[in-house]
Amino acid sequence: MTAYLSLRNIVKSYDGRVNAVDDVSIDIAKGEFLTLLGPSGSGKTTTLMMIAGFEEPTAGAIELEGEDLTRCRPYERNIGVVFQNYALFPHMTVERNVAFPLRMRRFPRDRQAARVREILDLVGLDRFAGKHPRELSGGQQQRVALARGLVFNPDVLLLDEPLGALDKSLREQMQVELKRIHREVGITMVYVTHDQTEAMTMSDRIAVFSHGKLEQVAPPLEVYHRPRTRFVGEFIGDSNIFAGTVDESRPGCVTLEALGPIRVDVEAWRRVGKGAVDVLVRPERVQLAIPSADPALPNQLVMEIAVLVNYGDSVLVIGAAGGQRLRMRIAGAPPDTIREGATVIVGWRPGDEHLIARS
Amino acid sequence: MGVILALLVATFLLLPIVIVIPMSFSTAISFEFPPPGYSLRYYAKFFTSEEWLEPALNSFVIALGASALTMLLVVPAAFGYVRYRFRGKALVNLLMMAPLVVPHVVSALAYYGFLARARLTGTHLGVIVAHGVLAVPVAFLVISATLKGFDRNLERAAMSAGAGPLRTFFHVTLPVLRPGMLVGALFAFLSSFNEAVVVIFIGGRGASTLPKKMYESIRLESDPVIAVVSTLLVSAVVLGVLASAFLRRRPANAA
Repeated sequence: MTAYLSLRNIVKSYDGRVNAVDDVSIDIAKGEFLTLLGPSGSGKTTTLMMIAGFEEPTAGAIELEGEDLTRCRPYERNIGVVFQNYALFPHMTVERNVAFPLRMRRFPRDRQAARVREILDLVGLDRFAGKHPRELSGGQQQRVALARGLVFNPDVLLLDEPLGALDKSLREQMQVELKRIHREVGITMVYVTHDQTEAMTMSDRIAVFSHGKLEQVAPPLEVYHRPRTRFVGEFIGDSNIFAGTVDESRPGCVTLEALGPIRVDVEAWRRVGKGAVDVLVRPERVQLAIPSADPALPNQLVMEIAVLVNYGDSVLVIGAAGGQRLRMRIAGAPPDTIREGATVIVGWRPGDEHLIARS
Repeated sequence: MGVILALLVATFLLLPIVIVIPMSFSTAISFEFPPPGYSLRYYAKFFTSEEWLEPALNSFVIALGASALTMLLVVPAAFGYVRYRFRGKALVNLLMMAPLVVPHVVSALAYYGFLARARLTGTHLGVIVAHGVLAVPVAFLVISATLKGFDRNLERAAMSAGAGPLRTFFHVTLPVLRPGMLVGALFAFLSSFNEAVVVIFIGGRGASTLPKKMYESIRLESDPVIAVVSTLLVSAVVLGVLASAFLRRRPANAA
C-alpha cells in the first residue's frame, strides 16, 4: 500500500505528563475509509483534530502525499471536517453554508452556484437550499455538514462521530448513505466513532485506540477474528477470553488456568511461541456438545447456565465454566436442554479460537 | 397562595410607576392623584421647552457614548476571560464586577475628584467615561454568557473551510454573537440613560441629563412635566427590554 496520508509517531500531551495520544503511526491509502475506534478518552478524536490542524502534535509528523502538514494552519490545509454537532452556521441558509468554503477558497464565482447544487444533489438536499439550519431535522443538518465538507474537493474528509446524535434507524440509513457517497466521490475518509458496529460495517480498515495508544490497524474482519491485543478482543464484539500457558512439549496444546488443557490450531500455536497467552473464543463459536455424536469437539467444558438473552434470531447463553465466565451464542431457537439453571456440555473446535501472546 | 403573594409584590413594585402615567396626562398644576382632568399640556410643555429638550439630547448622546465605551472595554475582556486560562482569573472577574458592589455615591465622589483633576467635570466626555465604566458589570455578564454558549466548532468549521482568523471572526463569530452583543450594548445604554447619582456629582451645567434635570426640578417646583419624563423613561426601558427579548430569540442562538 502506498501511503497518501501518513501519521508518523504522533504524540500529543496537554500537560507534559500524560500523553493523550501516544506514539501513533498510521499510513492511510488514497480513497480509503479508515475508522478510528476506541472508548471515550482513548485519543481518537484528538488524533483527528491534529489531522485537521486544530491541535498541534507535541511530537511527530503528519504528511499528505509526502508533504509535511504538521505545522500548517487548518485553513492552509485542504481537508474537510464534519462535526458531531453539525456546526452549521446558524445565520446562513443551507446554500450559503455549503458555498462558504468555495467563497473562502476563492473558487471561480460563476461556477460556485452550480457546484453547490451538484453537491446538494449528491446528499439529496437540493430542495432545501433556501432553508436555515434550524428548520431542518438532525439527519438533514448532518447532510448539509457533509455537503459543506465535500464541496471544495478536499484531499481528505474527516468525520468526528457524525452520526452520534441521530437515532438508531436514521443512523443506519446514514451509514448506507455515507458509504454510497464515499464510493461515488472516491475521497479518503477518516472517521471517528466509539460504535464498533458502525466501524465494522463501514470501514476499509479500523484503527483501534486505547489510552492514547494504537492497538491495531486492520480490516474489520481481521480485527474481529484476529485481534492483536486482549483489549481489541474485548472491545470489539462479544468475547470469551481465557488466560493460559503454551504447552511447549505438546504441539497444539495450551493449558488454561482453572480449565485445564485444550487443543488449538497447530499453526497458531507455533506462531505464538511460548509463555503466557490469552485464548479468545467468540460466543458464536462455542457450541453444544451432542453426547457420543461429535468426537471432533475435543475442547469440552461443563457450563452452568445463568441467564438466557433472546435476540429473536439468536440466543445468548450467559454462564460460567470452572468459575470463569462463559458466553455462548446459538443461532435460531435453542434446544430444550438450554434452560436457566441447567448444566450443559459445551466446547469448540481447534482453530475456532484465537491466541493472543501476552506481553 | 404563591400566586397571591407574587401579585402583591408585583403590585407593590409596579403601582408607583403606573400611577405616574395618568398623572402625566393631568390638568392639575401640581402632582395630584387621581387627576382632576386629562390633557396633553405637559407633553406639549416638555417637547417645546429648551429646558427639558437639552437634557434629553444630552442623555441620548451620553448613553450612546457610554455604551460604545462599555463595549470597547467589555468585548475584548469577555473573549479573554471566557476563552483563556490564566493566573488570577477569579480576581479579574471580581474586578469586572466591582462597579456593581461599590455604592454609587462612593463612585460618584471618586469620579468627581478624578475628573475634576482632568478638567472633565461638566463635560459629556466626563459623564461618558463614568457611565461607561459603571455599565461594565452588566454588559460583561451578558456578553461572557453569550460567549460561553458559543460553539467553537463553528470557528473550526470555518477554518477548515479555508477562512483565516480574521475572516472566521467577521463571517462567523461576530454574526453569531451579534444578538448577545446588542443586548449587552442595550443594557449599557439603559444603565447610563437611567443613572442619576453620579451625573448629579459630575454633570454640572454642561452635561445635565434627564434624571439630573428631574431631580433639580422636583426639588424646586414639583412640575408635573416630571411625570411626563418618567412616563417616557419607563416606555424607553420597556421597549429596550422587549427589544432584548426579541434579539435573544433570534436565529443565532438556536442551533
